[in-house]
Amino acid sequence: MRSSTEAPRDGWADAARDTAHLVGFRARTVRRPGAAAFGAIVGLGLTVVFALAPAAFDTAALDQPALTRAVDTLRDNLGGAFIGVLLLAVSSSMSSGGGRELLSRSEAAIHPVSPVTEHLGALLLAPLNLAWLVQMWALLAVTALVTPPDRLLGAQVVVLAWVLAATALGQALGWAAEGVRRTPHGVVTVRVVSGAIVVALAGLHLAGALGPLVRALPTTWIAETAQTSSWPLVVVVLLGIFAAAVALGARPAAWALGLPPREELRVQSGVHEARHAPEPRWGSPERALLRRLDRGSVWRSVGMRRGLIVLGIGPGLVALVAGLQWSSVMLLPGLTASGAALLFGVNAWCLDGKGMVWRETLPVGAHDVFDVRALVVLECMAAVSATTVVMALLRNGPPPLVVGVSVAACWLVVLVQVLAIVMSWSVRSPYSADLSSPRATPAPHAAMAGYAGKLSLVTTLTGMVFTTVSTGPWAWLPAVLALPFLAWSTVRLLRARRRWLAPDERARVVLTVAAV
Amino acid sequence: MTQPPAVVVRDLHVRFGDVEAVSGVDLTADSGRATALLGRNGAGKSTTMKVLAGVVPPTSGVVTVAGRDAATDALGVKRVVGYCPDVGGLVPRATPWEHLQLSARLRRMDAWEERGRDLLERFELGDVAHRVVGGFSHGMSRRLSVVLAALHEPSVLLLDEPFDGVDPLGVEATLEVVADARARGACVLLSTHLRDLALEACGDAVVLRGGNRVAAMEAADLTGEAYRALLD
Repeated sequence: MRSSTEAPRDGWADAARDTAHLVGFRARTVRRPGAAAFGAIVGLGLTVVFALAPAAFDTAALDQPALTRAVDTLRDNLGGAFIGVLLLAVSSSMSSGGGRELLSRSEAAIHPVSPVTEHLGALLLAPLNLAWLVQMWALLAVTALVTPPDRLLGAQVVVLAWVLAATALGQALGWAAEGVRRTPHGVVTVRVVSGAIVVALAGLHLAGALGPLVRALPTTWIAETAQTSSWPLVVVVLLGIFAAAVALGARPAAWALGLPPREELRVQSGVHEARHAPEPRWGSPERALLRRLDRGSVWRSVGMRRGLIVLGIGPGLVALVAGLQWSSVMLLPGLTASGAALLFGVNAWCLDGKGMVWRETLPVGAHDVFDVRALVVLECMAAVSATTVVMALLRNGPPPLVVGVSVAACWLVVLVQVLAIVMSWSVRSPYSADLSSPRATPAPHAAMAGYAGKLSLVTTLTGMVFTTVSTGPWAWLPAVLALPFLAWSTVRLLRARRRWLAPDERARVVLTVAAV
Repeated sequence: MTQPPAVVVRDLHVRFGDVEAVSGVDLTADSGRATALLGRNGAGKSTTMKVLAGVVPPTSGVVTVAGRDAATDALGVKRVVGYCPDVGGLVPRATPWEHLQLSARLRRMDAWEERGRDLLERFELGDVAHRVVGGFSHGMSRRLSVVLAALHEPSVLLLDEPFDGVDPLGVEATLEVVADARARGACVLLSTHLRDLALEACGDAVVLRGGNRVAAMEAADLTGEAYRALLD
């Protein structure tokens, strides 16, 4: 039997075994295993639906030139969509400091968890991400729509192999970026390089060279070959890339995890000079102080700040560069607001961490505390989704009246909808979470997957309702249609507020979040 | 005329689901005196403190703090109490000064800055007053929690494990805060496992076991043997 003090184990077999132990540990601590299993089945079911259902949609039979043109455009840009998945994987792992963690930093500190185990854990957790799921489903749906039925199975296997390869590549690049970030001047380097890439892409787009460049990338070959009998060859190549990226990704992971997290340490030792107490024009000074404290808790967190910036700029850039139609833009505010809510809003009280007990001893009304926290969650969601809408506006110009009213109504509805849902979750199912690391999540991974799935489903369906309405001639209809949505969400929000105001319930939330 | 006790607890029960954290505690504590709350882990000390601080509502029983009913007037209780929780108690991404500012403003304190600065200096936190507390050591966090509890000169000062992980200078500063509070007529309740420090800080002692009070006596009478016998 090997001694526990023998040389550290960091081989792949040991790392895989340790990853399995960690996954098992997390699985055993899932609060509602039945709900988690149901969520997993729903997720798999949706994947199958997106992979197969659009194929039944015979666009040629409908004989509508606009629809045919749209499908042709999708077919021509399928290679670009493949690149989109890769870009998302890179930005996702970069913004989360290399990827999510199976065990939080403080929990893992006492265990010999190797960097290879951390790398494998981050890879396993990558799919538990709203943007990742939505992108995969979108790619499956578009592929199903543009592929002949007899080639569908092969094409979708290629899509899944590409998603695996892109995720592993994104993970490796994410670790590398995190490693650079942890070197002296690394944070500035990453920001400058990221900014330069964005500017270069924008420049290429303005010069009309981005489209041809994207179409010249090997992903176009992958997309085209996927629809031929040679698809097994593509799958083999992609699985080879996947295996290589997983193996190579362990190196930057070990490098990054061996360096001190400079940005977090800088934030933790950051100096914030005293400011005068706010004297707001409206509302009480107490609320203004609480608001300032809550905003500080959001923007002084490396993970939340990064996440909000990526969520604000990323989809906005897609809308700006790809020139999304308003019908597609309509879906984005809901998804970006959901993404912002997933940064902390789904467990809104975790912003205070263990300080929740001290917060609760302050002589301030519980309704003030709830209202201010809800407002800060709403601000974050509104800020990121507004960026997306404004960038779409820059690209598309002012929409027709009915579309404009639909976009505004849809935006308002999804904001209030997501707010009501996440504040209900925050009161009903609080968790203790330490968000000091950008790799941390506000709730356990199984819960986060459920939250992501539910929020994306609700907001996408809402977006589709308003998209449908926007095709009609009545500009008043979207505004009227928004009323029942807003009324129901308001009822739900007030119900969560009432629950928070009950001393017993509030004490339960406080003690759970503070873990005392 | 005799002053009524600042803290009165009668037959306090606190239940979390199936777990009864406190089962029938009786306790009184007078103004101008410091009372030590002693007992083993899980004896119900911290839960009792949380009820007295207005954080956890009592499941049943009578709890009055400076004349305010903790069950019906939690906000009033919070105004008169200064509480140092047993764990953490700090918002991770706010600075000590921001904590003090919020606490002072919500209690309508004017000209609190000088006292805040003085307390931070006494607890050797003056040079980190504007750093976020997420990077603080455990001992620094405990010291700041005591500062926050004492800032508004509360009429009831609740200190839950204030010496835990604190260096000797921090212990001295905490003992000074307790002495100051007693001198100005405040009631101090101090929960700790450290009997010697409890005896140094407090004149009275209450021992809890399994959620019940098992003894109340003058602190000087609580010898090592007597304390051990009460714990078993």
